[in-house]
Amino acid sequence: MTTFTIHDVTKTFTNGEVEEQVLNGINLSLQEGEVTALVGASGSGKSTLLTIAAGLQRASGGQVRFEGNNMTAMTQEEVRKIRASKFGFVFQSSHLVPFLTVEDQLMLMLDVSESNMSKRERKEEVAKILKLVEMDHRKDAYPASLSGGEKQRVAIARAIIHKPNILFADEPTASLDSKRSKDVMTLIRDLTKTLNITTLMVTHDEEMLPYADHIITMKDGLIVQ
Amino acid sequence: MNMAWKEMKKSKAKFIILGSIIFLVSFLTFIISGLANGLSQDNAALIKDLPQGHFYMNTDAKQTYNLSKIDPSLQDQILHENKDAAALSIQMGFVNDAEDKQHSVAFVTSTDSPLFEKVGPGEIVLDRSLEKDGIKVGDVLTNNQFSGEFKVVKFVDQKKYSHAPVAYINMDNYKEIYRTKGMQLMFIPGQDTASSITGLESFSNKDFLNTISSYKAENMSLNMIIWFLIAISGMLFAIFFYMMNVQKIGLYGILKAIGVKTSTLFRMMWAQMFFITIIALVISVALSQGFNMIAPKGMPFQLTMESTLLLSILFLVIGFIGATLSGLQIKKVEPLQAIQQGDV
Repeated sequence: MTTFTIHDVTKTFTNGEVEEQVLNGINLSLQEGEVTALVGASGSGKSTLLTIAAGLQRASGGQVRFEGNNMTAMTQEEVRKIRASKFGFVFQSSHLVPFLTVEDQLMLMLDVSESNMSKRERKEEVAKILKLVEMDHRKDAYPASLSGGEKQRVAIARAIIHKPNILFADEPTASLDSKRSKDVMTLIRDLTKTLNITTLMVTHDEEMLPYADHIITMKDGLIVQ
Repeated sequence: MNMAWKEMKKSKAKFIILGSIIFLVSFLTFIISGLANGLSQDNAALIKDLPQGHFYMNTDAKQTYNLSKIDPSLQDQILHENKDAAALSIQMGFVNDAEDKQHSVAFVTSTDSPLFEKVGPGEIVLDRSLEKDGIKVGDVLTNNQFSGEFKVVKFVDQKKYSHAPVAYINMDNYKEIYRTKGMQLMFIPGQDTASSITGLESFSNKDFLNTISSYKAENMSLNMIIWFLIAISGMLFAIFFYMMNVQKIGLYGILKAIGVKTSTLFRMMWAQMFFITIIALVISVALSQGFNMIAPKGMPFQLTMESTLLLSILFLVIGFIGATLSGLQIKKVEPLQAIQQGDV
């Protein structure tokens, strides 16, 4: 089922008197339970498209529609609420909160998403998700003591703990070695299927493409394939 | 989740350093304030301990009570019309003890009034600080301009004027020493507004204190130091929280990206500011009050709980303003920028 569509989205950056058109009218639909990979050369506009889709920056034109609503016409607070409760994010760097334990990182996300679970239910949910990403044995560890792969697993757990509809992943394996990259991609693909999430991922690593259901290639701000 | 507390628990050293600086600045402010109050009390306790009312001196005296001389008939009229009023004179002078050692005092004399010590001819009532100099009740003191002798009848606590201990003497003895027939001042207690008396200028207690040149200059300098310390502490708050916020810009961006409200981040910063400041203030208040109790007797130090609390509230307000101003950058943080900057 399609829950997320992008219609004729454009993005122009202005640097002094110079205008640069980064996206030139993008149209895209994302399906539930599927991983869509955005690929393309550096500067092709794939990361810009992902951040506009995720509500992290505004499009210059066009519409981003989520559950029938046009996000480009929403207030910042309305977009924030969607990001907090309906979206999950995995970044290139794990971006974990340095002073929170692994367990607390996930508890924070449940707070942010204003989950109506009780404290006990939250703890149980956190334990369940940590087990799913095989990080339950490190629940009391701080990010500084985790390896790159472990951090990324925690970041994925944080991104899905509140059961988002859409998972945005911006080069989630860029900071990992080949073995760990495959583990993380397997995890993202499996979670997408089992939790029926819609995943949009940016990558430039061709080895990660077999994990995607759809591959969209971008060039000069346009979808070429 | 209490992120503010969790961060403080994890980054103890950073917050202890900040707390220590707030403690040191507030402690210094309390001590300076205690000294300022002490000096002010040492300078004018005689006047400061009087109830609110109005002083009157000659218009011709140009606001210098030393030059003032109240006409005796006018004095009688005022005393007749105002039962609580008193006529008084203050002059700096010396008394010599049995060993002919000179002691600087402020001679004070007044008409019958419960506000001033009643002293018979040849008697003298002294501020207790002279007891330390070896003077006892029953001792005989002399003054080279006085034909008779003064017998010490009593000591009173904390009666100082112009940093000298007060010596209450009888009006007739005073007139002999200073070769004068009139009194310098009239004081009418309990007046909200001054009466208009021809030939006399009125002063509230506070205004009268400011006519004492040493009092005004001293108080202004000390108050200036206190206000500078308060302003500096405000800047310290702002600078420290600014530095901490700059370090956390990336973190704030990520938290905003995942949906944390800006107001939550502000609350986190305020909670940390209040927690650190309150702990630092509790320690400074305890230590400064402790110092208040053990300060050497000769040191003019007076720190009331009231002024300590007032300064503490001021510190909290200044800290809040400083932290909030420095935190305005939280509002400007773009989640996207933080994500692109890499790990926090």
